[in-house]
Amino acid sequence: MTEKLATLWPEIILFTCACVVMLLGLSERLGVRRLCAPVSAAGLLIAGLFAFYKTPVDPAAMLPNLPVFGKVLAAGIGLLILGLLTGIPDRDYEARVAQGRTRFDPKRTIRSEFYAFFLFSITGLMLCAGATNLIWLFLALELTSLPTYVMVALSTQRDKSLEAAVKYFFLGAMAAAVFLFGFVLLYGATGSVELAQIGATLRHQASVEGGINPIALAGLVLGILGLCFKIAAVPMHFYTPDVYQGAASPVAGMLAFVPKAAGFFALMLLLTAPGWGWMQPGGPGGGHGSLPTPIGEILAIIAVASMTLGNVLAIMQTSVKRLLAYSSIAHSGYMLVALLAGPGRPGTLLPENGYSAILFYLLSYGLTSTAAFAVLALLERKGPDGQVHEADDFADIRGLRKKHPALAWVLALSALGLMGFPPLLGFFAKLPLFASGLAGGHLVLVVILGLNSAVAAFYYLRIVSAALLESPDASGHAEGMVQTPFRGRALAGYVGVLAMVAMVVLPLLSAGSFLHVTPASWASFGGTYKDAAPLAIAPRLPSPAKPMGAAPTGEGPMSEDAPARP
Amino acid sequence: MTIPTISQLPTTLAYANNAYLPILLLLLSAILFAVGNVTISKFLGPSRKGKVKDATYESGVNPIGSARKRFNVRFYLIAMVFLVFDIEIIFLFPWAVTFRNLDMTTVDGGVWLGRIFFFIFTTIVAYVYGYRKGVFKFD
Repeated sequence: MTEKLATLWPEIILFTCACVVMLLGLSERLGVRRLCAPVSAAGLLIAGLFAFYKTPVDPAAMLPNLPVFGKVLAAGIGLLILGLLTGIPDRDYEARVAQGRTRFDPKRTIRSEFYAFFLFSITGLMLCAGATNLIWLFLALELTSLPTYVMVALSTQRDKSLEAAVKYFFLGAMAAAVFLFGFVLLYGATGSVELAQIGATLRHQASVEGGINPIALAGLVLGILGLCFKIAAVPMHFYTPDVYQGAASPVAGMLAFVPKAAGFFALMLLLTAPGWGWMQPGGPGGGHGSLPTPIGEILAIIAVASMTLGNVLAIMQTSVKRLLAYSSIAHSGYMLVALLAGPGRPGTLLPENGYSAILFYLLSYGLTSTAAFAVLALLERKGPDGQVHEADDFADIRGLRKKHPALAWVLALSALGLMGFPPLLGFFAKLPLFASGLAGGHLVLVVILGLNSAVAAFYYLRIVSAALLESPDASGHAEGMVQTPFRGRALAGYVGVLAMVAMVVLPLLSAGSFLHVTPASWASFGGTYKDAAPLAIAPRLPSPAKPMGAAPTGEGPMSEDAPARP
Repeated sequence: MTIPTISQLPTTLAYANNAYLPILLLLLSAILFAVGNVTISKFLGPSRKGKVKDATYESGVNPIGSARKRFNVRFYLIAMVFLVFDIEIIFLFPWAVTFRNLDMTTVDGGVWLGRIFFFIFTTIVAYVYGYRKGVFKFD
């Protein structure tokens, strides 16, 4: 127990920080209230440093280095998203208080909740990365998601965000029920909630029976389907565009990364339990390891459907936010290809290791999508009705270069990064997806991934051309755009793009192979797979084959826990 | 110790007949009991209808207005604050029961003490938060 606690310092720090922030935002003094964001940033920074330097490696885990990388990733991208979120809570209210039109009343503010919920969500993401059993995993996933529902509702004053929040909440609750039911079946089939134990039991059952236990199979399939909601993949993707559009751009930017990362961590942990033990030399992966057949097929279908549907529907959008939502679906599809490829043999590193590829892609996607949403969050115009509209339509960003050249370049670079344009980080992140897919023997999927990347180029280039090449259209929306006065958002956009560029340029300057220097090597390290240590099998199923009333022989699995009745 | 094989797992009806039969019987008897009692009393009991007989409280005060009234949101706030402290007590109770068995000089004992302090700290945060939000102000 105490050893497990030692791995949780980043989470404890973040949680305590969230508690402090929750109280700071209720202070009478504006100066103290303003501390919410800086204190959150400090908490994230300290938690990230702690995760980087002080996270002990759990020897029992099959993905021993995932917690380290996952927590550092959560803290790092979390810092950017925190910058993105600044300025959302209490903007109008604080303005009215400053004008003296109303007295400050803690009852009417949402600042403390907003930042605290964000920190809770990141805490959940970190817990997700370090999960070792199903109950932990479920609680961590819910801790990640529950605050985001509230944040969507609080993000703007419009009815649309309430609608989005309700939609998101109910579908999220349904998805949680689905994967929880899957977890229950997994427990029923293996008699344990510990992921390592589940893996050992399934492998043992497979070695006896030559296949995967049907109940465990049903559990895994339900688990995958439920987690598809978190990563916004196809059968559970319906909420994505509506929720992204209904929420304010910064919160949409958060939704694009935090639940997605949590979902992928959970999928990696969940599939590692049964998955990569099926490494027969003559198997479909050629000894690389592959999933049990039905699960592999289902994941392949989800991957292809997510990529294709996301990209095709993104082409048809006139709203940039909806476009980014569909592109988020497509990116989940890309990453699922690497998930199918799996971590390879124990010790496999980046180009062939699918898990490392996902982690690196999450890093690249987090930076670029945060930068893209930052540009949208930085632009707003006063409508004829006096309402403030944030940038959403293509008409809003057309000819952006004329008035806001820096923002136009950030948007264009992040769109190119999402597209995977060669010299940018997105390209180097997409490369391992292809390589690991090929190493795993999924040639067809890799071809579809390539085709889809080409399709995606169409709509990403549309953003680039709208921002850089075109002139503002007759609607006058683009001319009315002014930059919001929040430095945090600008910082998030610029730092996101700069980090994206730096991560490519610095390795090239150091003349090393790209995949062997930071941070690709960290991701590579994060996804390494270790063969499970042999564990004792202790199923707690009632002894099945005996007819009712037959005398217990004392041989049944129950005999360990309960004395046999006479 | 044997590992249950796939054919032995409770997937077939034959197995369900054996082990889950009592549960099925319990379920059926529960349904039968509920439905049966209502049906029997419908047939056997005296039944008189009328405006007074159908009133919500037959021998009580006549109802005024609709039951669909708006509640003050404070009731929900009180319910939520109650939950916070209720859960606090639920978690503190087993800790208090085993407290004597914890050796405070060992690492584990210290960790357990620290944990419960952290837990109480979160509740204090919840209390201060509720106080600042005016949950306890009954004007």
